[in-house]
Amino acid sequence: MDFNSINFVNPVFWIKIITLIVILFYVVFTFVVFTQVKVMTQILHLPHGETTLKTISIIHIILAISLFVIAIVIL
Amino acid sequence: MNDIFVAPKHKEKMPENSEHVGILSNFSKNPNGIHFQTQKHNEKIILFLRSHFITNISWIALSLILIILPIIILTFLPTFGIDFLSSQSTTRFTTVYTLFYYLMVFSYVFISFLHWFYNVFIVSSERVVDIDYSDIVVHNIAVTNLSHIEDVNYTQSGFIPTFFNYGDLFVQTAGNERNFEALSIPKPREAAHIIGDLIGK
Repeated sequence: MDFNSINFVNPVFWIKIITLIVILFYVVFTFVVFTQVKVMTQILHLPHGETTLKTISIIHIILAISLFVIAIVIL
Repeated sequence: MNDIFVAPKHKEKMPENSEHVGILSNFSKNPNGIHFQTQKHNEKIILFLRSHFITNISWIALSLILIILPIIILTFLPTFGIDFLSSQSTTRFTTVYTLFYYLMVFSYVFISFLHWFYNVFIVSSERVVDIDYSDIVVHNIAVTNLSHIEDVNYTQSGFIPTFFNYGDLFVQTAGNERNFEALSIPKPREAAHIIGDLIGK
């Protein structure tokens, strides 16, 4: 990577960096949601919904990671 | 030698009057298949309560507004002479921010549903369990024995709670133990009667 080509004074560069950091925090947040769902399924076993909720929270993580990758690629 | 009598194989018996609990169930007497972490082997769940589904209307309505909001904004922007999708650079940023926005709306919907789904009130043959899932990083579980319960009462006020038959249930315990409350539960009178019968009042 050629660091000389990056214009650190350009505000667009910093907007990109801030956007990526915010999305990264969001990815961490999706992991927290997944952990909470896992903890709650251990505390309370309900006949329906557990698998669905776990699947949704995993999809949530995948979507967040995908968005992070998309942001790196297209920004 | 032929057997005179062969006992039929016993199927696992479900308790009488047991109710099937669906994903959206909010009032179940003798529910099937529900267990909580500290449940004892011989402890039977008598009542399973959750807020009435109608209490979810506010976040469902807000979610629908949030879903259609960007579409409305993008439709009406050219009317006001704002055209930030003309350059390639801004289009890329708009794409990422729009995707991020919809992901956050998805999070809001999911967390709001979890908040409703895991806020439950359980009455077992031995105790009362109140599981509060107040925030994504906060959950609180309170348990008290039925023998510690002093009084049970409920309130049902307002047009919508009366129409949909839901209200707040309050369980008062002895001494310094915390009081329990199940908010916006369906059929609060019936729930109060069931707990009252269990504690012999």
